[in-house]
Amino acid sequence: MQRTPFILRNPSVLIVIAVLAVFTAAVTAASAAYGTGVMPTSMVKVLGKTLCLALAAVAMDLVWGYLGILSLGQMAFFALGGYMIGQWLMYARTEGIVAASMAANPIPPTPAELQEGVAGQIFGVVGSTDLPWAWTFAHSLPAQLALVLIVPGLLALVFGWLAFRSRVNGVYLSILTQAMTLALALWLFQNDSGFRGNNGLSGLQNIPGLEDVGQARLSVWFLWASALALALGYVLAAWLMGGKFGSVTRAIRDDETRVRFLGYPVEGFKLAVFTIAAMITAIAGALYYPQAGIINPAELAPIASIYLAVWVAIGGRGRLYGAVIGAVVVSLLSSWFTGGRAPDLNIAGLRMAWVDWWQVALGLTFVLVTLFAPKGIAGLFDILNRKAKS
Amino acid sequence: MSMMTRKLLLGAALAAVTTAANAQDGEPIKIGVLHSLSGTMAISETTLKDTVLMMVEQQNEKGGVLGRPLEAVVVDPASDWPLFAEKARELLTVSEVDVIFGGWTSVSRKSVLPVIEELNGLMFYPVQYEGEESSKNVIYTGAAPNQQAIPAVDYMRDELGVEKWALLGTDYVYPRTTNNILDAYLKDNGTAEEDIFVNYTPFGHSDWSKIVADVVALGADGKKVGVVSTINGDANVGFYKELAAAGVSADDIPVMAFSVGEEELSGLDTANLVGHLAAWNYFQTAESPENEEFVATWKEFIGDDARVTNDPMEATMIGFNAWVAAVEEAGTTDVDPVLDAIVGVTVPNLTGGTAEVLPNHHLTKPVLIGEIREDGQFDIVSQTDPVPGDAWTDFLPESAVLDADWPGKQCGMYNTQTETCVQVQSNY
Amino acid sequence: MTALARIAPFALALLMPLAALANPALDAVIADNLDQIERPSRQTVAPLIADIAATGPEGLAMLQAWSARELALTEDGRAVITSGEVPVDAVTGDPVTDDFSSLRPNSGVRGVIDGALVVSQLSDPDPAIRRGALDTLARRADAAQLAALRGALDDPDPAIAARKARLERLLTIQLGEDSANRVQAIRQLSGDVALDFRAALNPLLATRIVATKDEPGGNVARELRPGSDDLSRQDAIAMLVDQGVLQPRLTSAEQRTRLAANIVDGRVGGLPVAALDDPDARDRAYEALEAEGAVPPAATEAETEAALDAHGFFAVYAEPDAAVTEAAETALTRTQTRLGVMRGFDLGLDALSLASIYFLAAIGLAVTFGVMRVINMAHGEFIMMGAYTGYVVQTLIADRTLSLLVALPLAFAVTFAAGVVLYRLVIRHLAHRPLETLLATFGVSIALQQLAKNIFGTQARPLTSPAWLEGAITFNDVVSISSIRVAIFVLALLFLGLFLFIMKRTRLGLEVRAVTQNPGMAASMGINPDRIAMMTFGLGSGIAGIAGVAIGLFAQVTSELGQQYIVQSFMTVVVGGVGNIWGTLAGATLIGGLSKVIESLNPANTLAAQTFMILFIIIFIQFRPRGIIPQKGRAAEV
Repeated sequence: MQRTPFILRNPSVLIVIAVLAVFTAAVTAASAAYGTGVMPTSMVKVLGKTLCLALAAVAMDLVWGYLGILSLGQMAFFALGGYMIGQWLMYARTEGIVAASMAANPIPPTPAELQEGVAGQIFGVVGSTDLPWAWTFAHSLPAQLALVLIVPGLLALVFGWLAFRSRVNGVYLSILTQAMTLALALWLFQNDSGFRGNNGLSGLQNIPGLEDVGQARLSVWFLWASALALALGYVLAAWLMGGKFGSVTRAIRDDETRVRFLGYPVEGFKLAVFTIAAMITAIAGALYYPQAGIINPAELAPIASIYLAVWVAIGGRGRLYGAVIGAVVVSLLSSWFTGGRAPDLNIAGLRMAWVDWWQVALGLTFVLVTLFAPKGIAGLFDILNRKAKS
Repeated sequence: MSMMTRKLLLGAALAAVTTAANAQDGEPIKIGVLHSLSGTMAISETTLKDTVLMMVEQQNEKGGVLGRPLEAVVVDPASDWPLFAEKARELLTVSEVDVIFGGWTSVSRKSVLPVIEELNGLMFYPVQYEGEESSKNVIYTGAAPNQQAIPAVDYMRDELGVEKWALLGTDYVYPRTTNNILDAYLKDNGTAEEDIFVNYTPFGHSDWSKIVADVVALGADGKKVGVVSTINGDANVGFYKELAAAGVSADDIPVMAFSVGEEELSGLDTANLVGHLAAWNYFQTAESPENEEFVATWKEFIGDDARVTNDPMEATMIGFNAWVAAVEEAGTTDVDPVLDAIVGVTVPNLTGGTAEVLPNHHLTKPVLIGEIREDGQFDIVSQTDPVPGDAWTDFLPESAVLDADWPGKQCGMYNTQTETCVQVQSNY
Repeated sequence: MTALARIAPFALALLMPLAALANPALDAVIADNLDQIERPSRQTVAPLIADIAATGPEGLAMLQAWSARELALTEDGRAVITSGEVPVDAVTGDPVTDDFSSLRPNSGVRGVIDGALVVSQLSDPDPAIRRGALDTLARRADAAQLAALRGALDDPDPAIAARKARLERLLTIQLGEDSANRVQAIRQLSGDVALDFRAALNPLLATRIVATKDEPGGNVARELRPGSDDLSRQDAIAMLVDQGVLQPRLTSAEQRTRLAANIVDGRVGGLPVAALDDPDARDRAYEALEAEGAVPPAATEAETEAALDAHGFFAVYAEPDAAVTEAAETALTRTQTRLGVMRGFDLGLDALSLASIYFLAAIGLAVTFGVMRVINMAHGEFIMMGAYTGYVVQTLIADRTLSLLVALPLAFAVTFAAGVVLYRLVIRHLAHRPLETLLATFGVSIALQQLAKNIFGTQARPLTSPAWLEGAITFNDVVSISSIRVAIFVLALLFLGLFLFIMKRTRLGLEVRAVTQNPGMAASMGINPDRIAMMTFGLGSGIAGIAGVAIGLFAQVTSELGQQYIVQSFMTVVVGGVGNIWGTLAGATLIGGLSKVIESLNPANTLAAQTFMILFIIIFIQFRPRGIIPQKGRAAEV
């Protein structure tokens, strides 16, 4: 049997990467730092963040579209990635400030004094001066980068192992994933857990060591990084799902029992996809929050994860580019409609502000898409394809 | 009555603003309004957005500022904290506003701080907060802890004879820090550790039976119990209902609230809450001609006679007027000259005194204690002279040595012992 | 009202024209203390109040008016009583026509005034006033008031007489002059769990810790060992430092300051300054400085140890009478045991109440999930719709009992209709696609939530229970539960009964059970599964509406009301097991009970309790993936 090359089997990969490259180049050309400056820095940041969300949506599609698990806790991994990188960003930035301030002392500070000073600065806001255990590696960038993958990966592994082992599935599993993210959010919310409670980690857009670069350039750098991460994540997902591994995954989605009877270790497959998706999501989060500037427990509220599912559904699940389209379209539209810049509607003399009605419109759109276009926006491509062929 | 008609009126008001603006010469001065209009905080922040719009309208009727009309740019950060940073950047760089009025929660302020310091913007923050912060680019027009929490506790101890304290709060930074300060303050004043009970509940908590029972049980050692409540927003409704159901009268266990004002009380039946307390820098019942006018203007502007005024609205009003005065004095809307001019500016407040903008970017404010009346308003039972706001509290050892006077030092976190600047940007 | 009745005779008497100045003493007191009267402070007002009280009935009338906030001052400093139909001068009783401003004494001052009035009120003909006086005494009393109480023990009202007797015993414990009498009072009440008894005992048992080399004076409770639970070593050292018998240990900050003060040519104690970023180096430098005599020597561990050994630490009662403290200890121990049981019981009531709320909120969800295998994410919004229905009805019907009676069925009707519409328009088109249903109903949920915001605004809306549901059912000072919670419990029971009746005794119930167990077979028996599904969906939604009214009565009515209960409701259904009302009941009981137990273990942090609760549920489901009462039969395989 002749094996066709991966790329030929997945022409969409090429298209997505090409579109992504053109998009990145265009934004760069329009940015204030490297181009004409038509596009303000805040817009570059919005687009950069959107790419991260698209990557999270790709991972969501792996879990839901291909594996058939409607995980309502994906944002837990996203936010954990953000928290892990945020710890280093905060610690390193504060360390610089504290060291500079202590340099004024006649006696040089001991490492313990320096750490105490940093802890006082970071946690003074929430009424504590000790560095919590969770910040043990916060001074080290490589360690925290590793934790970006390790912590969410481990959480997914343990949670998935427990859940899949006891054959929790369907709606039950959805609720359980939702409970997981809620528990994590509540835990982070407490001041005592050492992540600054509701205030979360802030000032993340100021990258230590790059203070002189300026947000205009930094925002473009992060856009590049996000685009690269999305491209790599997309290729990885497409490659995984294009091969035999992907076939088994889809078979599990369609009939789990039958795959088990065929002798496949169903739990192993599920666990692998779930964990890989969690790690991809975590990377997206780690790139997202330095652009957003602040992370706090509200980010992993159950509703955030449901929105992620909504994007994938609107874009079209079961195909990766659908997830990307859904995330990009819906999150940008949301941003535009709540930005106060969309013109008000005049219906029968009633002035309707989009700020008030956007959520209603989104909710109803969503019902309509589920009812009438179960394949989402990506389903349109099928129709176009069919027309082209006929 | 309904939101719809209010929207209509608002639209009409906006249209009026625009026409007034056209009548004057010069480019309009843009004013950013960064208050959540959707999400959990919309409940409180929408009112402040309307207050700013009202002030803008009034100022335009007076001929604007520097001969130029004012134009409000309203955005909706939707109670989403990262969105506050995004929208602040947008306001400063895309809409190019000269000043921002906004924020309510501490976390929204912390989200905006890095952006506003990076771009050298100017923000007026109108809500009582936990202190421990001073930014060059923020004027804090709400109360610092020494302008609300400490005098309120003094009042409870001296006037009500409270010896045992229940510090109940929603679990976020304002209650946490305020309670830390109060804890240190009470212990300094001889309260034993076991006489302070602390509890934190989540936002929107509704099951209060156990906590109210715990508070009542504190009375078992014969000391008079008082509750200091930093419970936020909606959760108060359930708390007060449970308190009333348990038959806790204000004479037995007085509750002093820092986050319950006229607006929050309009959500519940106050018949059983009569006599419980709140500490603010303003109550709608304050007796002064300025206040009468303000209340009347507000009711007319919003088109609803039942609407109440509250403390953050007064703070917004003071901040707005102080900014106008500073701009007039500086002759420009550029941030640095305005910041230089604004220190020392005095504007009348609504309680019959004046508010002065201090070098540490806080205000002088009188502390008012009010007892809840049956009609949901407050009887003012105590009013102090204006107290200068203190950014760094004197009751936590690490903060006591810090000073936040900006002019000359260009530093909001100045260690008076080592005489060095701890950091130039604020600690976010 | 009562104040008016009391003051009217005085006012009438004083209206007689013969006296222009009915009470010159009172007039003088008022004139001398205008400032105090205008802005009284609890700490300093007592002598003034005594002076006013001493001026006779007019003085007492003025105090009563003052306490009731019915006193005002004119511009020229005359006191005006405003309780009657016409404001009258407090001194002369003449009607006042001048402008006056009302006085607002704070509750602390009012307490002092009430205290001064108590003695004269103990035998007042009005029982309400006598009760009020006893309330005042219960808050704070002195020996003179105790004596007055003893003189007024007889009372025509047996309930008040009993209260007086009890209060006399309690005050005797605190204020009694002879030891035997106090001990007897303590023994009489021993084992009582009431708050006022414990409040009387505990101050007697308050101790302070003294450190001394000699025998301690006073009524010693016990000796303490430093390093034990009662007295940490650190605290013991701090006490000795405070007494000046021990040098404080050197803190690292002090060490740094002293080192910095001794920098000579960039070196301290022979070490270069740059090397001092290491604690050991600092110690060495400090020792070198000590040797030079440049810095005072720091206290050593041995000195601390010796000082600790040389001193005894004792807890000493503030109450000097040993017989009383002993009796109090014994009484309190008995009380504590009973108290523990009572607390457990109270916790049980709280748990039951929470469970019934969860049950009400989840029952509708369980019904729809059981029959149709779909999760309705908009269920929370149906709860919210019910609550808003209650609010709207209350704005239209002023009588609260009537409005509640209208609101309950109306809320059911509104949400039943909403449920049916949702079913017809959305859910039936998504049959056998549970995950899509979940998401589609989520869309409905966010739309409904925003719609509610647009209609009702973001501010919480009041939904107030009728007067007969206010207050609490109190067994004693420990065990009590608010009436509204009891009502919700009853409501939950009612719905459990109703639900069982519908399921077991009606045609609809039979058909629902048939469809639940095997839709295909049911359809072939002539049952229309679509109609049954629609009816159950409506029923489940309707119950959510009722739950909304109930929740709104004790909590807040906002557009986010549903959000707060939806996750808990899911948990309840999942933990309990689907398709079975008893499962939902078990789930609600388990979650409610466990929440309260965890909360009581960590009273300071309710949030932590919730976190642990959810963690427990996650783990629980690992072991019982189908819930406490799993569904049996063919439906379970679907």
